[in-house]
Amino acid sequence: MFNKLEQVKHLPIRFGEVARYVIVPGDPNRVPIISKYLDNVEHQGQEREFNASRGTYKDVEVSVVSTGVGCPSTAIAVEELVHIGAEVFIRIGTSGAVDGSAKKGDMFIATAAVRDDGTSKQYMPIEFPAIASHDVVINLINASKSLNIETKVGICQSKDSFFGEVEPERMPVSPYLDYKWNAWQKGGVGASEMEAATLFTLSQIRKVKAGAILAIETSDEETIDKMTNIVLESIYYMEKEKSHD
Amino acid sequence: MTKKDGVEEAIGGLLDAYDDDKEAIQYHVQLKKGDISDFVILPGDPGRVEFIAEHFDKAELVAENREYKTMTGEYKGRPVTVTSTGIGCPSTAIAIEELTNVGARTFVRMGTSGAMQDYTKVGEKVIATGAVRYEGTSVQYMPIEFPAVASHDMVLALKDSAIKNKIDYHLGIVQSKDSFYGQHNPENMPIADELKQKWNAWVKGGVLCSEMEAATIFVVGSYRKVRTGAVLLVAGDQAKGESLTKEEYKTNMSESVNMILDSSLDIKVEV
Repeated sequence: MFNKLEQVKHLPIRFGEVARYVIVPGDPNRVPIISKYLDNVEHQGQEREFNASRGTYKDVEVSVVSTGVGCPSTAIAVEELVHIGAEVFIRIGTSGAVDGSAKKGDMFIATAAVRDDGTSKQYMPIEFPAIASHDVVINLINASKSLNIETKVGICQSKDSFFGEVEPERMPVSPYLDYKWNAWQKGGVGASEMEAATLFTLSQIRKVKAGAILAIETSDEETIDKMTNIVLESIYYMEKEKSHD
Repeated sequence: MTKKDGVEEAIGGLLDAYDDDKEAIQYHVQLKKGDISDFVILPGDPGRVEFIAEHFDKAELVAENREYKTMTGEYKGRPVTVTSTGIGCPSTAIAIEELTNVGARTFVRMGTSGAMQDYTKVGEKVIATGAVRYEGTSVQYMPIEFPAVASHDMVLALKDSAIKNKIDYHLGIVQSKDSFYGQHNPENMPIADELKQKWNAWVKGGVLCSEMEAATIFVVGSYRKVRTGAVLLVAGDQAKGESLTKEEYKTNMSESVNMILDSSLDIKVEV
């Protein structure tokens, strides 16, 4: 698919320039914000919506690469990152509330995602579950506990149409959107976002690990700060576990 | 509900669950509140219930109707129940619904499965983190896009128990199907092409083994807000033509039971 020595098609980084652990926000503007928490930071460049930087946290190498909005660009980012050496992906994102189990201002660790996206279906038949790696979920939970930050844990929904969620009545398929939304509410979906389903499906296929933490209806500095701390601490735990194996 | 008409009477127990009359005997499993513990082990085969209960410290038969046989007892002071589901997701969904109505809060399926990867060896145990929804029951609960996912705390308890008991385990996604012979002899089926094409996708996607109940347990569990997990013994490998002998089978089943019983000690009793 790619020549290892060449730059991959979309990302501004190439083989050897990515850490084992990659934090994947959607927004390229969030890359410098998250990178502030790293030591020895190097901004590696930006192509399209893919902004990349690298640094260290407690001596563990960590990359931060944005995916852009939605599963199509996320799939490109994940494929190319796996190809150049990434092994663990943690998404930091924002989301909407669904069934009320997580409310505005909460932080939500996703265990799995509803595949209301188009991209993951071009990888696996729809019956296949989009599941976060158990390791990543447990380490995110443990990190939030040790930092004394309260988080919710559960299933999120990944959609392709942002406005189909926030203004379903405006859409020609509004009865279909309402019917599904109602099922997600009754079935126990806590958050709605736009990238996790493909991130989880693809990571299972490519045999890498993935997880996600989402802020519910907020993107204020304090929440991003807490989520970044949880994610970095979980990465540190995973690296420690790895060296024990 | 103050008055029952004929239709409500027919599915009385199920409706009662929603108006707090937990004394009613559930229609299919023939159980009422107090008959079971919060932690329920779910084998498929009613003939396996007694064998599982032999691993408890004490146990008694509380109900038997159709494919649903239930024994309740204790393991190291923790109340535990075993109920058979019968084969397949339709009868399993009934069991989950009715057991939840009368107090079940955690379900762990204990079953057998066929290997799907080279590295899932006969005799190993698979702890399911999720399931492929290649079955017809869970879609009558939730749209197909919804993930059939096990509870993370149950997965962790099972994993810890496997490590503690030195049991060879894998952790990952399993496939749930409705047609046993569609898996074993796909070429005999009119839809052979679909069966083979999907099977190849599951294998490429890293699905570990194939069974018939987990997807519905996980989906109905999410909807009913109960904890779920599954331990599947790899009993055969159709690609390699391997299966366990009767003696190996029994020893391995015992390992699965002990692994689940030990994990139950990590789950707080919920009354």
